[in-house]
Amino acid sequence: MWFFILGDLLIFGVYFVAYMIYRGQDSALFLESQQHLSPGIGVINTVVLLTSSWCLALGTEAARRGKTDDAYRLLASTAVIGALFPILKMVEWVPKILAGYTPGENLFFMYYYVMTGLHLCHVLMGLVIIGFMLRSLKVSPSLDIKFIEAGAIYWHMVDLLWLVLFALFYLMR
Amino acid sequence: MLQYLRNPLTAVWFFLTTITILSWWIGRGQGAEYQLSTLITFSVLLMAAVKAFLVIDWFMEVRHAPRWLKRSTYGWLLLLLLLLLTFYLVRF
Repeated sequence: MWFFILGDLLIFGVYFVAYMIYRGQDSALFLESQQHLSPGIGVINTVVLLTSSWCLALGTEAARRGKTDDAYRLLASTAVIGALFPILKMVEWVPKILAGYTPGENLFFMYYYVMTGLHLCHVLMGLVIIGFMLRSLKVSPSLDIKFIEAGAIYWHMVDLLWLVLFALFYLMR
Repeated sequence: MLQYLRNPLTAVWFFLTTITILSWWIGRGQGAEYQLSTLITFSVLLMAAVKAFLVIDWFMEVRHAPRWLKRSTYGWLLLLLLLLLTFYLVRF
């Protein structure tokens, strides 16, 4: 799992740096476009991912100690809180697209939709993995802690990437 | 479940959430005040790097990981931060 995580971090890292280089070439356009985003939804989504990651980290510890009932409850909380992210993303995206701010609008919006879209795919995949982790806690006769740990690392990476995306797209000037 | 609130991970989560709200407060603004700002950019990127470090260290448990993994993850974060700050200052 770690080789996959490191590969993903490297790929996103290249995108982040490329974004910064392009931003420097036309900072006026990027600054103007950035004002049409919804930082309020961005900050809520950041807290959503951090909270889901916290539940998952606690759940992993509980699973390691053999407290499978606690682990199940904590992982279920992770999934419920984490599922708010794609819902809020739609609440953010749909009005923007209806207002004409589509990926074809300019380079900022192209980067914004491609990078946050790619990240959203990771979130959706993470939710599916958490579903399998919950199933494994419920039905497996012997707990596969390696699987729980690997799934948790993936979800924390999704959280980690969003922290950078949030700063790059919503906050920096 | 109450014992989980006394877990150090809860303190880490609280700190992460607090910095997130603080960085959002620093980065907010509209209209004429929305200008290029090295101070705001450096502040929010450094805060994001601190948060990323805590997620790697505590949630991903890299603090207990082998040296090669520590070097890879912390190295990725440090290199990314340096490149982002450099390309913010040096524009082509």
